[in-house]
Amino acid sequence: MSPQGMSRPTRYFWAASLLTAACFGQPTVAPTSEPVGPVRGENWSDYNVVDSFETGYRFRTFGGSLDQYRSTVNYGDGVRLLSSFFTINSKDGHGKYFDEIVLTTQGLGNDPYENATLRIQKNRLYRYDLNWRLNDYFNPGLRTGGQSGQHLLDTEYTTQDQDLTLFPQSNIQFFLGYSRGDQNGPAISTIQLFNSRGNEFPLFENVRRVRNEYRIGNQIRLFGVRFTWTRGWEDFREDSNYLSGPNAGNIPGNPTTLSSFQRAEPFHGTSPYWRGGLFAERKRFSVNGRLTYTSGERAFVLDETALGTVRLTPDARQVLTAGNAQRPVFAGNLTFSFFPTSKLTVTNQTTVNNIRIDGNSAYAEYDNATQAFSYTDFEFLGIRTVANETDLNLQATRWLGLFGGYQYSDRQIRSTEYSNTSGNIFLAPSEQTNLLHEGQFGIRLKPAKGLNILLDSAIGRANRPLTPIADRNYQVLGGRVQYRLKTLQFSASSRENYNTNSVLLSAYASHARTHSVDASWTPRDWFALDAGYSKLHLNTAGGIAYFASGQFIAGQPSIYVSNLHVGTLTARFDWKKKADFFVGYSHTQDTGDGRDTALLTQLGPALAPFQAAQTFPLRFLSPMARLSIRIREKIRWNIGYQYYGYNERFLNGEDYRAHTGYSSVLWSF
Amino acid sequence: MSGLGRLVALFFVCVFWLAAQPGSSYVGSNVCRSCHPDVWANFFKNPHYKSIASGKEPPERTGCESCHGPGQAHVEARGGKASIIAFSELPPKQILDNCLRCHAETLSRANIRRSSHTLNDVVCSNCHSIHKSPVPKFLLAKRQADLCYGCHPDIRSQFSLPFKHRVNEGFMTCTDCHNPHGAFAPTWRMAARPRMTDQALSNEEPCLKCHSEKRGPFLYEHEPVRVDGCETCHYPHGSTNSRLLRRPVVFTLCLECHNGADSFGRQNGGILAITASHNLADPRYQNCTTCHVRVHGSNSDALFLR
Repeated sequence: MSPQGMSRPTRYFWAASLLTAACFGQPTVAPTSEPVGPVRGENWSDYNVVDSFETGYRFRTFGGSLDQYRSTVNYGDGVRLLSSFFTINSKDGHGKYFDEIVLTTQGLGNDPYENATLRIQKNRLYRYDLNWRLNDYFNPGLRTGGQSGQHLLDTEYTTQDQDLTLFPQSNIQFFLGYSRGDQNGPAISTIQLFNSRGNEFPLFENVRRVRNEYRIGNQIRLFGVRFTWTRGWEDFREDSNYLSGPNAGNIPGNPTTLSSFQRAEPFHGTSPYWRGGLFAERKRFSVNGRLTYTSGERAFVLDETALGTVRLTPDARQVLTAGNAQRPVFAGNLTFSFFPTSKLTVTNQTTVNNIRIDGNSAYAEYDNATQAFSYTDFEFLGIRTVANETDLNLQATRWLGLFGGYQYSDRQIRSTEYSNTSGNIFLAPSEQTNLLHEGQFGIRLKPAKGLNILLDSAIGRANRPLTPIADRNYQVLGGRVQYRLKTLQFSASSRENYNTNSVLLSAYASHARTHSVDASWTPRDWFALDAGYSKLHLNTAGGIAYFASGQFIAGQPSIYVSNLHVGTLTARFDWKKKADFFVGYSHTQDTGDGRDTALLTQLGPALAPFQAAQTFPLRFLSPMARLSIRIREKIRWNIGYQYYGYNERFLNGEDYRAHTGYSSVLWSF
Repeated sequence: MSGLGRLVALFFVCVFWLAAQPGSSYVGSNVCRSCHPDVWANFFKNPHYKSIASGKEPPERTGCESCHGPGQAHVEARGGKASIIAFSELPPKQILDNCLRCHAETLSRANIRRSSHTLNDVVCSNCHSIHKSPVPKFLLAKRQADLCYGCHPDIRSQFSLPFKHRVNEGFMTCTDCHNPHGAFAPTWRMAARPRMTDQALSNEEPCLKCHSEKRGPFLYEHEPVRVDGCETCHYPHGSTNSRLLRRPVVFTLCLECHNGADSFGRQNGGILAITASHNLADPRYQNCTTCHVRVHGSNSDALFLR
């Protein structure tokens, strides 16, 4: 059917679908985003079936730092089932065994990011959901001054969630659930031996981490009040293998060497939990509450033996730690909402959280050099927070809305830490309370049809935050304008966050600015354009103190400047439903503070490594193009190309450029 | 009044009473389909079709009229938005109230009245397309990430940075960490912010659902991780820095807190500052995590060396 032959609603639907496909962030070239058409599918008995498969070959050519490419993009060569989609629905809602099956997949075969979802349900009887995902995770570790990192992780992470609901439309429902995550693969890290002036040695690891969670629950509706409870058991453990051997160490010229190393460090944790809730909603009020309790614990062992030499003298270090850590967590919330008029909503929530981290442990360390043992006890950390928040939301007129709120939060932190001062060992208790008051206010305006203006602000004052960079005296100012017509969407937003946190010996201030504009335009049902630009600007100045070449340097601010510009542009052309052409471009550039070289004496501490890190300009860009041609009614041929270019201005060791693409066949009905 | 008169009076009372009942102006979904075949054609795939298939729901909770209200007047007026509940004409609060008549009482929507979305007039119909959803689940108006990007272009930009959680690639979704219907106050920070970040089932920061090795509890906790959360050092969406860190190199990040400031901790009533043995002019000491490998918490070393 030609666009001219379409009915008006159908044309709008196609236009909306095109718009949908155009509004990507930084899209990946494959799988092909199949245009969603009007009613489709084929009838089979009492069911309607919709099916689609896209399979093809993905290619990549590459130059530069493969580590950085794998860490940030990671697409490779090979045949893939790029995507698939299958649904079957009963037409009358009375299927014998099921009323709906939905199966979707993406990237199966060998893509670094794969997922599959499955839903099967029969009305009134059951609903089953499965979500399975895989991430081929590679990280070459942190870098400084262009050097290679000494930590590396090359693991595969898979996760799945399964949920079964029985009698989903009934007043009495039952829930069963299971989740699992496991991470496996090689890793390299470091171990520091044998004393503070010692050496760092490579430590190889075969990562094996598993998490399982089982849950069961029930929901009952009684006298208009719904009660729900869930009982869950979460089990997580790690039994990674560690390996290191004779080694001269990573620091050239350091006389400390390693001749033998052995470590076993398994742990096994459980977090059984209870969760309960109640809900009731009436014409003039609603109330809901939640209580949860988690009695988490974690049993751990570390058994480590290292043999080597320290300045040509044989040394040995043996560490044995075993213990059982406990972390009971209680959290409760009670929320009342009142609707005194149809235009006003008042909501109040009270929250109580209490976390206690404690346990028992035995630590023994034997040092051959001193022939001494040292022991320690478990350190306690407790966090208790009580908060109350009231929000008002008033729709004064059809074009004017107001909202505001006040929040009070009281957090107490207690700890008992191990201290060793000049051989005098004792437990040092600490306690700190932080009070936070925050106010919010906002205005919503609708001066014309399709035009929305939103202004919001928040101001907060905390008297004793934990860290020097935490929120203490902060203000947030934000605004957004949105204009929507059938073929045009335009939005612009701006947000500024200020925070100052100055205490004895330390001053910290940050100013973050975010400005964004975004437009989507679909002038014809065969053409769509989407463009967006954001500027993310961050300045921080933090008081630091450090030693350099034996000299203590204090009172210097560490000034960090990040000035990120991110732009995306996508356009889509459709030629008589026979060919679909999509082009996109994404450009990320951190211009930093405008410096051309890493070193500038005016910016922060005098040390060169600091100055190189106070601003870190780089560029990351990715143009792409895709052509999808209809071969037959149910078959399309697709071909696409995407370039990735990464370039750091100061240090070029991690730069790369990659040409990726694919060719595929998409079969669908 | 005679007995017959009382009977006639009672009859008229019953007629008026029945006429006043809301059920009397419901026409049923079959009437709607005759004028709205495009909506009806795919409606059997819609979750709301269950109310029709059930056959046991009262008229005000069945099919089209469960959301759009009684259709009698609409039919008699031969259509028009004035004679029926048309969501495109409703103010946001009324849309919310309409949907919450059936969808209020779940834990995931317990905070919808105080959520940032509601306060900003973002209600159900802004994200859900009841009749023309192009995605297979939850009647979303678009693919989930694109929906969120529509109002959060700054977040879209963060996911375009070199290092990011894989949302654009399809491995993750926004709702892995966020509850768009409003979340409970976070247990890992002061209750002010964030307002829309969901908790893992055992009241933890959502990061720990996947990064379970950092969950602890540890014999030696790194207090900011527990007290202020992972965002103390990491950007959760995307970053220009490896491992989503807030700074390009690690020592500048650590030193902003470890400056001996008067705060909470074990040394001089403040946060532990680096000692004289750490010569920052020496490259060896510029990668703190080369030695302090267990910065998220340790079972055997207070300085996180193992």
